[in-house]
This record gives sequence, structure tokens and C-alpha cells, in this order.
Amino acid sequence: MRWQFIANIIGILLVFLGLSMVVPLLVSIHYHDLAQDSFIQSIGITMAAGLILIILSKKQVDDNYINQKEGMATVALAWTGICLFGALPFYFGPEFTSFTDAFFESVSGFTTTGSSVMTNIEGATKSLLFWRSFIQWLGGMGIIVLSLAILPFLGVGGIQLYKAEVPSPVPDKLTPRLSDSAKILWVIYAVLTLILIIFLLGGGMPLFEASCHAFTTMPTGGFSTKNASIAHYNSAYFDYVIVIFMILAGINFSLHYQMLRGKTLVFWKDTECRFFLGLTLILTLLVTWNTYGSVYTSIKDAFRFASFQVVSILTTTGFATADYENFPGLSQIILFVCMFIGASAGSTGGGMKCARIIVCFKYCYRELFKIIHPRSISQIKINHIAIPDEVLRSIMGFLALYIGLFILSSILLACMGIDMMTAFGAVAACIGNIGPGFGTVGPAENFAHLPVMGKWLLAWCMLLGRLEIYTVIILFVPEFWRK
Amino acid sequence: MKIIIVGAGEVGYNIAGRLASENKQVVVVDKDQEAVKRLSENLDIQVITASGSNPKVLIDAGIKETDILLAVTDSDEINLVACLITDLISPTTKKLARIRNSDFEPYHDRFKKENPHIDTVINPDFEVVNTIKKLMEVPGAVDVGDFADGQVKYVAIRLDMHSPVAGMKLIDFPSRFGENRPLIAAIIRNNEVIVPRGSDKVEPNDLIYFVSETQKLKKTLMLFGKKVQPIQKVFIVGGGRIGERLAKTLEKDSIKTKIIESNIDRCHYLSEQLDKTVILHGDGSDQKLFLEENVGRTDIVISVTGDDETNILVSLLAKNIGVQDTITRIGKSSYFPLLATIGIEKVVSPRLSAVSSILQDIRKGKVLSDISIFGDRGEFIEAIALETSDITDKPLKKLSFPKGAILVCIIRDGLIMIPSGDSVINPGDRIILFAVKHAVKKLEKLLTVKLDFF
Repeated sequence: MRWQFIANIIGILLVFLGLSMVVPLLVSIHYHDLAQDSFIQSIGITMAAGLILIILSKKQVDDNYINQKEGMATVALAWTGICLFGALPFYFGPEFTSFTDAFFESVSGFTTTGSSVMTNIEGATKSLLFWRSFIQWLGGMGIIVLSLAILPFLGVGGIQLYKAEVPSPVPDKLTPRLSDSAKILWVIYAVLTLILIIFLLGGGMPLFEASCHAFTTMPTGGFSTKNASIAHYNSAYFDYVIVIFMILAGINFSLHYQMLRGKTLVFWKDTECRFFLGLTLILTLLVTWNTYGSVYTSIKDAFRFASFQVVSILTTTGFATADYENFPGLSQIILFVCMFIGASAGSTGGGMKCARIIVCFKYCYRELFKIIHPRSISQIKINHIAIPDEVLRSIMGFLALYIGLFILSSILLACMGIDMMTAFGAVAACIGNIGPGFGTVGPAENFAHLPVMGKWLLAWCMLLGRLEIYTVIILFVPEFWRK
Repeated sequence: MKIIIVGAGEVGYNIAGRLASENKQVVVVDKDQEAVKRLSENLDIQVITASGSNPKVLIDAGIKETDILLAVTDSDEINLVACLITDLISPTTKKLARIRNSDFEPYHDRFKKENPHIDTVINPDFEVVNTIKKLMEVPGAVDVGDFADGQVKYVAIRLDMHSPVAGMKLIDFPSRFGENRPLIAAIIRNNEVIVPRGSDKVEPNDLIYFVSETQKLKKTLMLFGKKVQPIQKVFIVGGGRIGERLAKTLEKDSIKTKIIESNIDRCHYLSEQLDKTVILHGDGSDQKLFLEENVGRTDIVISVTGDDETNILVSLLAKNIGVQDTITRIGKSSYFPLLATIGIEKVVSPRLSAVSSILQDIRKGKVLSDISIFGDRGEFIEAIALETSDITDKPLKKLSFPKGAILVCIIRDGLIMIPSGDSVINPGDRIILFAVKHAVKKLEKLLTVKLDFF
């Protein structure tokens, strides 16, 4: 483990983070709000920390190669550092009193979770709200992927960082050169965000709110500038526009790329995408049927709210237009299950990812098939391509860890005196990077009332979920530290 | 006429033998000393022990004066390179290549027009799979083949005791069946090929070769008392190239297929390539596995391993546990006469089909196809009647057909006619003839088409 090398990369990323804080500073100057000082302070501290790290570590130019272990450690530590320093603007602002709350909000932002401890969002300064949305946008496609796209400093070693930050069941490079792939992803991401802003403006949303919501829709984040989230607007147009863009954000971005290159049927031909879209439709119809009559009097309303909640939770965005805790039991269970399934691999969504769910089902079927035909040899395939055994093992391990950590964290949370529904809901929402949970952390409430330890635990869960467990959990394995 | 054959394997050997017997100058090039030796000892040809894809070797072999290059080694790459080099050195030489990898298939047509200008690409696996599919389409048939681009088929069936025609004289067929009567080309009884005359009888246990329009095939089979039932479950033994290709085509037709393969790596490969087929790891002749997988209930067992003995054993085993139908892949032509006696009749042979399709392809224009049956002991010839020949413009009864040859049918403007004594062949008609081996030469003379080459 070459700590100097890792520290160097983290230093560069912190300088980068400090630079990105200039954007909310400009917003602050434009709106003449009172947050300029807190941003200037934050930029100063972050840049200073970054530069100190760079100077102290003195880059070892001789060898740019990073092994997988170092890559994972770098990404996990870099994300922790970014979340810590990204919390500064919150901490220096008047809205936050404790660093715990500021850190929770920052992690929730960068990991695109969208769980908030802010009780009065509309009372906050515009620049702070902008920063809150902006960090979701940065975190959604991955801050390291962004730096790979624009800073060519990592060279060959970049692939390890890329794999650690954007873990995918079956990793795919779009182009031979990693930096080109990263650029393509970010361009698609940025263009979709721009289109969404235009659509929201077209519906009459002010520019500031339109950009903030676009910045949190595309990364499937879920922070809103309104206390009541999207429900504030009570507009079917906004609901459906955001539903469509949440779905687009929940689809593997390499499919968007292929689509742009003229393969028009790619969404339908891709197994995972078909599963994701089909699941969205079926669950929407089920919730529509379940809530029609009991909650909504017209089928149109039932469909509108059902589709929004289902898509919002399944893509792990976490916007709300209705308090699903008033929904009937079936709908609640469906939404709870959605928290675990999540969006597609290679999208900006979280959760277990549809691809892993499909693989898991196929794996189970294969085991049953093997009992009937003991000598049969079969492979698990996605898109007609066999999944290698090691990837399969890693997927099954991921699912087991995911469930295991979910249970462990829920128990720890319950130890702090939190009721069962809330504990389950909060952990599922945080580890899946969704946002609102169940019980006292539902869509109508927030996470402010949780104990300090609980917030740190949930922040850790969010990082686990965002970096898809292995990257973070590896740091807690004693073998990792042995020489 | 000079021909260079690159590759002294089974295919190269058989073709060289056929061509040498027709007095062609044949040069065979192969790296394998043993294989080359076998050829030079048994055949009247020239051999060169060297790599057939080497330009210098090809020049030394006289590629510039050569009319045809046949690249038939086991390696697709060597065959391709040999053609490519030949195209550079001697563009006028016709080139045939054996290419077995199916991933090349989309490019076969382009190979003709662009580099390396391969005039014909032969894939024996492809033809074997086609033959197997044809056999499967006509259950009960022992052999099936196409004429006139598939409009007309020849079919061989084994007549059983309960067949309504058993014991009938051929002369009685017209009065019983009228226009729909089957056109019997040959009867094989006790390992002997008989070209039937009117007074001959068909008897139970005869193997009967007849010709039928593809559309009317079902009806014709009914006349012989054979029912056509579509195949739904298939069991393939051997997951080699042929097994894989067959399973792929069967998957497309949604036929339930199982493949058994003994090599575990090959099993993994197959399971990557095939989606619906069940892949089993085990020995094809393992009776326990057969029971475990309920092979007795499948419609057909197709054994296509690379080993003739295993294939024969598998087919016998399958028959033993009650499978209706089996298809067996056989490489050694010396086995053919023995097989019928042990009850194995549906046989395919990739090498023989490669040989026959290569020979067919280099035949000169007027013979459209020339299909050997029953291990080379008889031949179906599809030809165009030439004005210059003796057979046109005369009633058939005035022609003296050689003994052992028969005119099976005449195809005029797409219509198929059953010849009778008064029929007249017009110039330009397509005719299908059958002849036992020793009558082929005389038949050629009659047709004034020599079975010649480019």
C-alpha cells in the first residue's frame, strides 16, 4: 500500500472539490444571500487541505500503476474525505448547528441518497440549496469518473479507481480509452440534465428551482428545494416529466450511448433494461390498482401518484408527491421491496441493481434445474453472454453482504431506541441511496430526530450503498491491513 | 487438366482418389509426412511434403499452370491463406476452400467477389446438418436428398411387413395408384442394388429409393404405409461442431433438445453458445445416464461424436431402450455395407458429403448434380438433356438404356413428369437418372455429357 500515492490522489480531488465550490459561491453572489463567507471559508480550508496533501506526498511519478486493493482504498478514502470537506458549507451556514448533521447532509448529497436532516428547507439560503443539489449531481455520475474525464493525471491506474467507484456486475468500457468513456458518460449525463431543465422551465418552474431539481433528478438523488418536495407544485406535467427522466437516469448509461449511435431497439433488447422497464410498469399498475378507491378517487390520480412513487423509489431517487405511509399495506410492501431492487447497473441509481436480481433468480433456477438434471452444465447469461464464475460469486457475495449489513445496521439502530419500522426503513433507504424511508423517517418526515450515533451509522450505510459495499467494507477486513 | 489439393486428410484423400481415377493430374500438398505417404502409395498422384499456404511451395507445385486449387486441410486459416496466395500468384486458377467455422458464413459471398476470390466455399458440417434436418423432416426415411433446388426429393425407405405395397409388382402400380404412383428408382435387397423393371416385386424389408415432388412427399409416404409425425424431442450425443450447429438450428425451430458431451470444457463452451438446449456432461454410451434423462421417450437420437464406434454403439443402445429413430454419423466409408445388417440405416458422413459437394461443384456445366447413394454403389444424376445426345426427340421405348440405369423423371418448365414408353425428352429438359456404378460410364456416353470438369 503506497499511502503517499493515495494521499496525492486524494489531495488532487480535494483541490478539485474546492474549485467546484466556486459555483455555489457565484450563485450566492448573484442572489446576494448571506452565505458568501461560509463558501469562501470552505473553499479556503478544502483547497489548503488538498494542497498540503499534495505537497506532503510529493507525487511518485515513476509508477502510475494502481492495483485493485489500492484502488479500492483510494476511492473509499477519497469519498470519505470529499464528504467531510463537502460538509463544510453546511457547517458554516446558519441552518446547521452540529457537524454530525452537516456531515449527514453532505454524505446524503454525494451518495445521491436524498435523506435530509433539514427541517425548514425553504428557509435556507439559495446558495446552500444549490450546493445541496450540486453535490448530488457531482456524486451521481461519480466525482472520480469526472476527474478521469477532465484530469488525465491518473493514466493506466485509472481503471482500478473507475471500477471501484462505478462497480458494475459486468464492467463494460464504452471505448478503448478510459478517459474517453468517462467523457462520454458525463456528456450524456450533462445533456440529459440540460434537457430536463428546459422541460421544467417549459412547465413554468423558475430557473433556480428547475436547475436544482434537474441536478437531483438525473443522479437519482432526491433533494428538493421545497419542504413538500415535488408535491409542492401539484402539477401532473412536472410529475410525468420527472418520472420519465428518473427512468432515463435508472437505465444503464452505456445503453443511452448505444442508442445515440443508432441502435434504436437497444432498450428492448437488453435483458436488464427490459426487466427494469417491465418491473416499473407492473409495479405501477399494481400500486395504481391497490390505491384506486382506497386513497384516490380517480384512476388518473391513482396512476399519476402510483407511477411517481414507484419510479422514485425503484430508481432510488426519493422524490415524493404523496405520503406512501397512507397507502394500503400491499403498496407499502411493494415500495419497500423496490428499495432493495434498485435501478440498472451502470445507471446513477442505487440499490442491489436489477442485473444482480436477475442473476440471482437465474442462479436459483439453475440450482433447481441441476437437481432435475444432475449432469447438466449450464451457464447464467445476460444478453446471451455467459457470466464468468468469479463475477457470479462476487454477485452472490454482494447480495449476501447487502442483506447482512441491512440486518446488522437495523439491529444497531434499534439498539439506539428506534422502533422496528423506522429502523428497517431508514437503513433500507440509506443503504439503497433512496432518501425517505418508513416509520418516522417517511416521505413526510425527515432524519433530524435520530440520535447522533444513528446518523453516523446511516451515513456509513449510504457510503456502503453508493460504492457498492465491497469498496468500503474491504477497509474493515483485517487481512486488508496485513503486510 | 491439373489440380492441386492442399491437405491430405480424409477429404483430400477421397477427392484425390476420385480425380486420379478420372485421369486428372493431381498434386497433393501437406505437411504431414505420414498422410502424404499414404496417398502416394495408394494413388497415382504427385505429392509434396510442405506447407500448402507457402507461396514458394505452391509455385514449385506448378500453381501457375493449375486449373483448380482445392484447399481442404483441417485448418480454416491455412485454407484461406492458400487461396489468398494463389489469388496473387495465379489469378486464373479456380479456388475451392473448406471453411468450417460458422462465423465466416456471412462472408462466403464476398469471398467470391473480393479477395481472396474463392469460387466456392465448402462447409461439410453445414451440409451434414442440412442432411440431418432433411432426414428429420422425413421420419422413416433412411436417406433423403434434393434435386432441382429442392423441388424434387429422393427418399429411401425400408419397407415393413404391413406396408400396403408389400409384395406388389411394379407393373401393377399404375393401375392401383394412377398418376400419383411413386417413382421407384432402385431397390436394395440383400446388399444388392437392383434397378427395377416392371416385373420386379417390392418385398418387405427392401430398401426402396423413390423420387417425389417435395409437396407430394407426405402422400407418397402414405402409399408406402409410413406416417409422418413431427419431431418434438431430440437427443444429440456429441457436442462437437456438428452437434453445436444442429442444436442451434433446432433451437430456432423450438424443438426440445438435449446434448450430451464428455469433455467438460466443451460443455462449458456449449452452454455459453446455446440458450435453450440442455447440456449434459457424460459419456454418450452410459446407459445409466440414458435412463436418468429418460432418453427412451425422445423422438430421435442423433449421435455425431467424432468416433464412429461410439456413434454406432449409441445408436444401438438407443434402439434398445425404445427410441424410434436414430441418425448416426460415420466417417469411414468401409463401414457402410455392415451398418444395415445391424439395423443402423440413417447415416450421415461429413467427409463424404464434402467430397461429393466438391466433386459436384467442379463438374462441368450440364450435369447439375451427381449424388452417390448406398456407400457409392449407385448414383443419382441430374442433368440437362443436350440436343446433341441420342436421348432427345425419340420415344423412350426406342432408346437402348444401358442395363442398370433408369430414367426416373423429366422436369420440363418446372413440371415433373413420370416417364412412360411413349414419353419424349426435349432438348433442354432436366432429367433425373439413376445408375448402378458400373452403368455410369455407359450412361455418360448416352448423354454425351462426360462427367467432366471446368
